Amino acid sequence: MSATSTFNRRKFLTAAGAGVAGGSLLTMLEARQAPAQIKGTTLRILQWSHFIPAYDAWYDKFAKEWGDKNGVKVRVDHIPHLEIPARMAAEFAAGAGHDIIYNGSSILTRLYYKNLVDLTDITEAAGKKYGGYIPSAKSLVEVEGRWYGVPLFYILLPMLYRKDLFDANNLKAPDTWELARVAARTMKPKGHPTGIALSQCADANLMWRSCFFSHGGTEATPSGDQPTLDSKELREFLKFAKAIFEEGMTPEVFSWDDASDNRYLASGVACWVHDAISAYRTTEDTNPDVFKNTYIGMEPAGPGGKRINTCAANVWMVWKFAKNQTAAKEFLTHMVDTFSEGMVSSRGYNMPYLNGFAKKPMPVIGTDPKLQILQDFPPIVAFYGYPGPFVTPIQEVVNLFVLPDMFTRVARGQSVEDVMKWGMGEYRRIFAKHKRA
Amino acid sequence: MTTASLSGGPEPTARAAVVSLPASARSRVWFQSQTSRRLAFGYLLLAPAALYVLLLVGAPFLFSLYLAVSDANVGEPVAHFIGLENFRSAWEMDTFWIALQNSVVFLVVAAIFKSLLGTSLAFLLLQEFPGKKLIRGLVVIPFTLPVAISVLAWKWMYDSQFSVINWVLSRLGLIGQFGTDAWPIWLGDPHLALAACIAVNVWRTFPFSAIVLLAGFTSVPLEVLDAAKVDGCSFFQRFRHVVAPMIFPILMIGFLFDTVFTLSDLSVVYLLTQGGPANASKILPVLAYQIGIQAGNLGRGAAIALFLVPLLAPAMFLFLRNLRRREY
Repeated sequence: MSATSTFNRRKFLTAAGAGVAGGSLLTMLEARQAPAQIKGTTLRILQWSHFIPAYDAWYDKFAKEWGDKNGVKVRVDHIPHLEIPARMAAEFAAGAGHDIIYNGSSILTRLYYKNLVDLTDITEAAGKKYGGYIPSAKSLVEVEGRWYGVPLFYILLPMLYRKDLFDANNLKAPDTWELARVAARTMKPKGHPTGIALSQCADANLMWRSCFFSHGGTEATPSGDQPTLDSKELREFLKFAKAIFEEGMTPEVFSWDDASDNRYLASGVACWVHDAISAYRTTEDTNPDVFKNTYIGMEPAGPGGKRINTCAANVWMVWKFAKNQTAAKEFLTHMVDTFSEGMVSSRGYNMPYLNGFAKKPMPVIGTDPKLQILQDFPPIVAFYGYPGPFVTPIQEVVNLFVLPDMFTRVARGQSVEDVMKWGMGEYRRIFAKHKRA
Repeated sequence: MTTASLSGGPEPTARAAVVSLPASARSRVWFQSQTSRRLAFGYLLLAPAALYVLLLVGAPFLFSLYLAVSDANVGEPVAHFIGLENFRSAWEMDTFWIALQNSVVFLVVAAIFKSLLGTSLAFLLLQEFPGKKLIRGLVVIPFTLPVAISVLAWKWMYDSQFSVINWVLSRLGLIGQFGTDAWPIWLGDPHLALAACIAVNVWRTFPFSAIVLLAGFTSVPLEVLDAAKVDGCSFFQRFRHVVAPMIFPILMIGFLFDTVFTLSDLSVVYLLTQGGPANASKILPVLAYQIGIQAGNLGRGAAIALFLVPLLAPAMFLFLRNLRRREY
């Protein structure tokens, strides 16, 4: 009797204690309160300079507010995204620097994962909370089953076309690459050519991959250990690239940088461009007449009906030598939870990896009739190395612009077979080199 | 009376002192002499420069040698010795040979234009004219501007659509209209792209050549030039037989700096074209950066960068040897 009574009391105390602790934790999570130990610490974040400047202003304020709320001094440094690899190398060599490092487009997880904090716990928690990630997300950050980065947003590069010009020429909207080619062929003689960068810039790497993958091509095996470029699809696609260049573009594309197509569209010359919505926003801000007639289309389908959009990935990581790992993880969790705010401040530029945030209507793009189509992109999102992960040989291939250079060579008049031989030679040499290392 | 005094010599201790005296006196004399003190003071003055060279030039150079023979990558703190594998790997690259060729072309063409423009500018600045001091200050602006800013300005001037150069040339009737084949695409045509990069490099650094030459020209005594004039020497004869030999050491030092600056110039090409289109403007520093830092293969990047050494070393050796001969 007495034993039963003691057991009940203990059980009661345990249950009550657990209830209070759980309740406090839930309250803390609800209020997004970070643990007390991060109070009085400093968190240093290395961030890119966003293509939408308003996002940077919002981000700095957002980070400061989080810091003020949690008693953490937050310092955000913005640098151009192309400088991030050099900065990362310098910080790693010195064993000191920022706590949180941003990676854009060139995702360096596989190079540094041994020196990055395993963030599987927070990414898994976010996945559970927000309905999981789009399938391609893990290819960016997963190494040996662990996630070493938090994929927060990616940047789409859809089709932006001039509806007035298409209508005036009785052309169908560019829903397939063949229709896009016909439109360019029709409108180039009328002073409205198209353009996809055939130079050494990030846009060339991204857009030609979208076009190539939609034509059934692949870059590497799903495991990422072998290149798969040497295919009938690539041979056919090289012919298509040559044709679309000759029929619908001008040699200007050989000199383009990442902002050239924005200017091309905003100037009123282009009949269509395949670019991020920064081109749409630039046109909105600089040429209202052209903007009025600029529409956004789904990724054009290839001959087999396949649509793949190669996107610019954005990922956040934490150094193992970071002095403030706890605050870094708390802040990253907060960034994930408040994704929608970031999407609004980026004017719909940032797209979510988490399915929960991709539900229709999405902020900004869900309410703009012209942008609504962007909500249908998540299932067709891919990244460099498709369908494989972003492995180190792919990173070298991307940084040396091998794939766009193949299209440049064929556009400049080299034979398809010579270009295949050169391109495959480069891919095989780079993959073999990394395998030996 | 001691045995020593009996034998007629000093006592052993005193003798030892007598024997050792000349040696210690000699060493004291050496350390205390004017020559040795001047020598020591000279070395003391040289020490910071020597230390600077050792720490900031020697150490990184040795480190890059170490990287070049290792499998170092940006994410691995430990690297393994792999011999000349990185050099072999560079040799196998088609792009490496293009970059090497472009680097040589870049160096030679830029040097020719910088010499011509630098010399002309130096002569112009020697003349007396109103606002000379202001003009002297203004001409060095390209050299002093941050490279990122000046190159971005050039990028706009070379823009395929909005190029101010093209619009002016088009208005003057020297090229065709926008959209025609006669409208140059500066950064898109393989030959023009490299030429455009060289032009920016020349624009940025020829004021440096001019200033170096100007310093040399002003050091030539006027009497010598006047004597040459009296002897009937033309302008070019005076330049070739009087001025050039007299300022040869300055010319060599300027040329040395310029060669190093040009061959190691990463910024201009990287910011304008990243080496495109299709590697047409790729030079060794850009390739080394893309492979070593952006793709993370430090070893291979270092090996590519070290290919600049065989290009630079003979030139440096010849310059310095020639300089020393002239000095003696």
